[in-house]
Amino acid sequence: MIDLTMATPDLLFGLRNNFFLGAYQAAINNSDIPNLSEEESVERDSLVYRSYIALGSYQLVINEIDSAAATALQAVKLLALYLSSPENKEATIASLQEYLSDPAYGNNPIVRIIAGIVFMHEKDYVEALKHTNIGGTMELHALNVQILIKMHRSDYAEKQLRIMQQIDEDHTLTQLANAWLNLAVGGSKIQEASLIFQDFSEKYQMTSLILNGKAVCCMHMEKFDEAESLLLEALNKANSLCSFHLLLIDDAKDPETLANLVVCSLHLGKQSSRYLSQLKLSHPEHVLVKRASAAEESFDRAVQTLA
Amino acid sequence: MLTKFETKSNRVKGLSFHSKRPWILASLHSGVIQLWDYRMGTLIDRFDEHDGPVRGVHFHATQPLFVSGGDDYKIKVWNYKLHRCLFTLLGHLDYIRTVQFHHESPWIVSSSDDQTIRIWNWQSRTCISVLTGHNHYVMCALFHPKEDLVVSASLDQTVRVWDISALRKKTASPADDILRLSQMNTDFFGGVDAVVKYVLEGHDRGVNWASFHPTLPLLISGADDRQVKIWRMNDTKAWEVDTLRGHMNNVSCVLFHARQDLIVSNSEDKSIRVWDSTKRTALQTFRREQDRFWILASHPEMNLFAAGHDSGMIVFKLERERPAFSVSGDSLYYVKDRFLRFFEYSTQKDTQVIPIRRPGSISLNQGAKTLSFSPTENAVLICSDIDGGSYELYIIPKDSLGRGDTVHESKRGFGGSAVFVARNRFAVLEKSSDQVLVKNLKNEIVKKSALPIATDSIFYAGTGNLLCKTEDKVIIFDLQQRIVLGELQTSFVRYVVWSNDMESIALLSKHAVVLADKKLVHRCTLHETIRIKSGAWDDNGVFIYTTLTHIKYCLPNGDSGIIKTIDVPVYITKIFGNTIFCLDRDGRNRPIIIDSTEYVFKLSLLKKRHDQVMSMIRNSELCGQAMIAYLQQKGFPEVALHFVKDERTRFNLALESGNIEIAVASAKVIDEKDHWYRLGVEALRQGNAGIVEYAYQRTKNFERLSFLYLITGNLDKLSKMMKIAEQKSDVMGQFHNALYLGDVQERVKILENAGHLPLAYITASVHGLQGVAERLAADLGDNVPVLPEGGSASLLMPPNPILSGGDWPLLRVTKGIFEGGLDSAGRGVQEEYEDAADADWGEDLDIVDVVNMHNGDVSVALEGEDVDEQNDEGGWDYEDLELPPDVDTPKTATSARSSMFVAPPAGLPVSQIWVQKSSLAAEHAAAGNFDTTMRLLNRQLGIRNFAPLKTLFTDLHMGSHTYLLGFSSAPVISVAIERGWSESASPNVRGPPALAFNFSQLEDKLKAGYKATTAGKFTEALRLFLGILHTIPLIVVESRREVDEVKELITIAKEYVLGSMMELKRREMKDNPVREQELAAYFTHCNLQVPHLRLALLSALTVCYKAGNLNTAANFARRLLETNPTNENQTRTARRVLQAAERNMTDASELNYDFRNPFVVCGATYAPIYRGQKKVSCPYCGSHFVPSQEGQLCAVCDLALIGSDASGLLCSPSQVR
Repeated sequence: MIDLTMATPDLLFGLRNNFFLGAYQAAINNSDIPNLSEEESVERDSLVYRSYIALGSYQLVINEIDSAAATALQAVKLLALYLSSPENKEATIASLQEYLSDPAYGNNPIVRIIAGIVFMHEKDYVEALKHTNIGGTMELHALNVQILIKMHRSDYAEKQLRIMQQIDEDHTLTQLANAWLNLAVGGSKIQEASLIFQDFSEKYQMTSLILNGKAVCCMHMEKFDEAESLLLEALNKANSLCSFHLLLIDDAKDPETLANLVVCSLHLGKQSSRYLSQLKLSHPEHVLVKRASAAEESFDRAVQTLA
Repeated sequence: MLTKFETKSNRVKGLSFHSKRPWILASLHSGVIQLWDYRMGTLIDRFDEHDGPVRGVHFHATQPLFVSGGDDYKIKVWNYKLHRCLFTLLGHLDYIRTVQFHHESPWIVSSSDDQTIRIWNWQSRTCISVLTGHNHYVMCALFHPKEDLVVSASLDQTVRVWDISALRKKTASPADDILRLSQMNTDFFGGVDAVVKYVLEGHDRGVNWASFHPTLPLLISGADDRQVKIWRMNDTKAWEVDTLRGHMNNVSCVLFHARQDLIVSNSEDKSIRVWDSTKRTALQTFRREQDRFWILASHPEMNLFAAGHDSGMIVFKLERERPAFSVSGDSLYYVKDRFLRFFEYSTQKDTQVIPIRRPGSISLNQGAKTLSFSPTENAVLICSDIDGGSYELYIIPKDSLGRGDTVHESKRGFGGSAVFVARNRFAVLEKSSDQVLVKNLKNEIVKKSALPIATDSIFYAGTGNLLCKTEDKVIIFDLQQRIVLGELQTSFVRYVVWSNDMESIALLSKHAVVLADKKLVHRCTLHETIRIKSGAWDDNGVFIYTTLTHIKYCLPNGDSGIIKTIDVPVYITKIFGNTIFCLDRDGRNRPIIIDSTEYVFKLSLLKKRHDQVMSMIRNSELCGQAMIAYLQQKGFPEVALHFVKDERTRFNLALESGNIEIAVASAKVIDEKDHWYRLGVEALRQGNAGIVEYAYQRTKNFERLSFLYLITGNLDKLSKMMKIAEQKSDVMGQFHNALYLGDVQERVKILENAGHLPLAYITASVHGLQGVAERLAADLGDNVPVLPEGGSASLLMPPNPILSGGDWPLLRVTKGIFEGGLDSAGRGVQEEYEDAADADWGEDLDIVDVVNMHNGDVSVALEGEDVDEQNDEGGWDYEDLELPPDVDTPKTATSARSSMFVAPPAGLPVSQIWVQKSSLAAEHAAAGNFDTTMRLLNRQLGIRNFAPLKTLFTDLHMGSHTYLLGFSSAPVISVAIERGWSESASPNVRGPPALAFNFSQLEDKLKAGYKATTAGKFTEALRLFLGILHTIPLIVVESRREVDEVKELITIAKEYVLGSMMELKRREMKDNPVREQELAAYFTHCNLQVPHLRLALLSALTVCYKAGNLNTAANFARRLLETNPTNENQTRTARRVLQAAERNMTDASELNYDFRNPFVVCGATYAPIYRGQKKVSCPYCGSHFVPSQEGQLCAVCDLALIGSDASGLLCSPSQVR
């Protein structure tokens, strides 16, 4: 558990924060931290590799983690494998299950987080919760909140959030989870979510995650103009990042920014098709893309049943 | 007690404050009178003429005078400007204890050990009255501040009040004074002009001091019985009111506080005590270790006191006078008296917000010390010294601005200082354990964090960060990471001021300002001799601060200067351009307008914004030696040049900045050798040979000139120089020139003429001028010198110039930076304007295109992929799973965990809720339930053809959720957007979905459609109006009134769609004139806007007229005229047609058109359906059709089946309620 009264500096704080707030490149660039204990360096490595995964560099992660690496890193590798080759996901899940069933590894929080993420992708929320519900780290709690929101059980999510708040109310993940939940329940809470993202933007470097968070709040408050400018800012940021790191443009372009831009443009009565096709090209698996094609299909089916 | 100044000296027996200047007089037991500036802490002057201790001293209220009285029985009146004693008043026969000027009359009152009190006229320098009655030493005698009274205290244990009104009457005319001299003695015994009014008995030892209350009829006295007594008097009597006990030894002096209900007394028990004069209780005691106190003085205008003791004196005040305040955006929160107040800068409105706890007057200095404000939560944190350091947290109710009488509940706690560190978090310093407690707004501890250093106080340093201050340094500490972000060695910081952007910080201590950046990297330090009071950053990054006496500025590079002198201390709160807002000590907000020219100018220079510098030079009166010196010192002589008129300074500056033209001009005016010389040097440096030459010519410096010609290869001029030298018979010059020119014959000639024959001979012979050499050899005879042998000698011949004359490539001079700055700015503006106009034009054209692209592209984009659907339905699947989890793996530790855990069943997705709650088609579409949407639309509007609605459906569905990136690499969270959000909406209550289409968009489309119609672009118009018709089924509006508007819009759109379709059809019918005429005629019967109707009529009129149907044409012309067309052409055409038709009222061809009979046009066949004829209509758009069309798709809206049953448009929740 997290020791509240710990007085020593938290060496990984910056790295974790960058990672949680989506400043992945910054997390990678500033990962060279001296004087880490063994445990901390494993955590550091896992964060760095997960940042690479978040940036889409799956192959790098798969290549760099060899069989001698710590369990936690093996799990991270599995995540990279899962995301990079959906066609082999059964095998990946099987090896993940193997880890989970081994008492020596199954309790590792990072293994459990990876399990939670993978099963979330599988939409098997119950299985995901099975591994994450115990909590133990802020990350696991935050993941719980997200899974429960996905299950539309904000009541349970709120309970998880309470636990997080008791541990450390000012923790970045607590604040983030709070914002997610606020958005999920809506109403006056949206303003609180907006304040949380505002706090982040004042405190930390602007990331696409923060900008998107602000924009989503704006959209929920029906301030679409404001949301649009925030999203365009996020898009520009992503673009400049691409050219800076010579990454594949489409990969790095933040899919959520594009998706939210589509939504925002629709509400503003502006052209949204360009963003949508960009999104389709770069992230054919994105929820919005799926939603769009599902919509067409269900439209056609509905027309047929009616005819 | 706040000590402001302290001196070390001999025992201080007398003190007096100057009323205007920061001066105090201290008379010493050694006989010296010192004049101190207590602000600067300097001894201004000392007056040493008394013999023995000086016990009394007093400043005159208005004149540059003071009076002193000493143990040498002398009263001396001094002029401090002249630094000398003006005169001495003699008369007392023993030590003089006190002296005092009258506040308006030219009088001095003195008390003495000779048991008398004397009143003197210092203008006539005479004693005008002797007050006798005391039968022991008179220790003190003072005038009443307003009335004609004197109070005296004596060791005879009495206090006496004397009436001196008779004295005033007597001296009404100054001439009397001289007369009165002779009367003195009679007065002496008669004592008519000063009579004892009251004798106050009560002290049982000698009384040392007595004084009046400045406004009330009260007296205060202190005596050797260690008591302080308060007395009250009325017209007839005076009586003892109360006794203040507490001093442990003789009370030496006692005073009323002029503005507060306080009494200050001091004593030989080495203490100063403060008493509450209404409750008569002791408030505070200040003790000194060694020194007995002898005298007190209060400042006539400020809340300042001074006390003299055995080894010096102290100047002090009782309470802090700095109001606690906090600036947040446009508003200022501050504490005044017992209220929290709010000041808005933009409106300059000052309102009382809420009352705060009144500090019990148990002790002094318990008022608010600092204030911290959290704007988002509207919470205020007030710190004070109550109970050894505590804070109070108030949440300001939003509606209470302006009216607040009830005391609000506050949350309290102890702590050295407390400050907000985030929106809803504040940090409290716990000094005893060196840690901060982070608390939430409920005053609950959220976190404890140990501080890395022993901290005195904490300040805000950005969200989540604290600035901790110790005696000798400050650090910025990150509460979350528990690391030190920055550190700066600087001692005794008192206040911290952040710039608006939180990039810069100013640390204010008593006598220094330290500027640093947000990581506490030191930028500059300024030292002040006068106490620093407050400061604020302006928007340009200039720090403006106040000292006790001045408003000053400090630029980012540390340059500073005075902006303005102030008479009373103020506390800057915020700066807007030229206006400084500050709070004064009475808690009043006041704007001070300052002249910012100087620092803005310096800042512009610093930031190299030369255009700004230039315009400031042109527009403002900014000059003076200081500014020129500054510019020169900072390396901007070229700027200084613009200010200077004095030619010498100008010349110097021009040289310094390398501006040779100006230097030449100045040099011409000055015309001094030295200046020409310096000009030459500079011109040479720049390579400007012309100017160098000119300068040398002016100074007649031939040698330099020659050399210049040599190096520039100007041989003509060089030979001229040789001639000049010859004329001037300057042999050396001549020779040099010849040498430079390489003219050997000339050289030989010069040498010969100068009598240096051997040299001439050698020169001639080595250069091979044999003839000359021989001649010279002959002249020399025996003395022919022998040429040295050996070595490889070569002739000294100057090289031939490759290029001659003219300037060298000139050095680049920096003078140009200011040129053209203004011009280019002007041009920029113009260009911008043009651009703007251009953009505007473009946008106009675009409107239609955007709409066009919109739908088209989406459908194209959507035709891409087929991904199998797995949408919201998914949520339901898990409900009956209810997880018997132990099924999986009963063997491992992981499963032990999971076996106890039962996952909650999934909840209802928001979209499901939408569907359940609503019967509005659009909301179903947004939820993605397209089959119910279609069923609803079919039932309500009879819509059968959904193909045109496909993109609308998908758009609605896609626009219903936003995407929130949650946990890294985890799937995104999609969040349903709800319509009609408001701040007060309760969470967890699902609202209807926000829709991508709304009514106002349609109105815009309608306008575009009208525009297209006016322009005759019917394809365009048709597309737009059809778009409206297609969107309306998926529109949701709130009120019933809007429902009617929507319905009206359907009708309008329908009419235009029908009209446009007919018009387009007509244009295809050029080969069928009858049908063409008919369609044109029917078009005029669509319900159009008047301008469009006119156009339709005009077109019908033209068509019919051309086809020879004059009668019909005339009808159109009449109808056109009835609309009163504004366009002259239309009127004229109509009239002409009418005239033509009148002559020949016939129709060439028969039309299926009877304008007298009302009809509607069939939407499919475009045939008139006259009244009474059978017709069917579209259930959605309401278009009419001939009966044969029943069961067909409506040709107008392309959506509904003609003649089918429908319940009607449902587009608002208000229709359902």
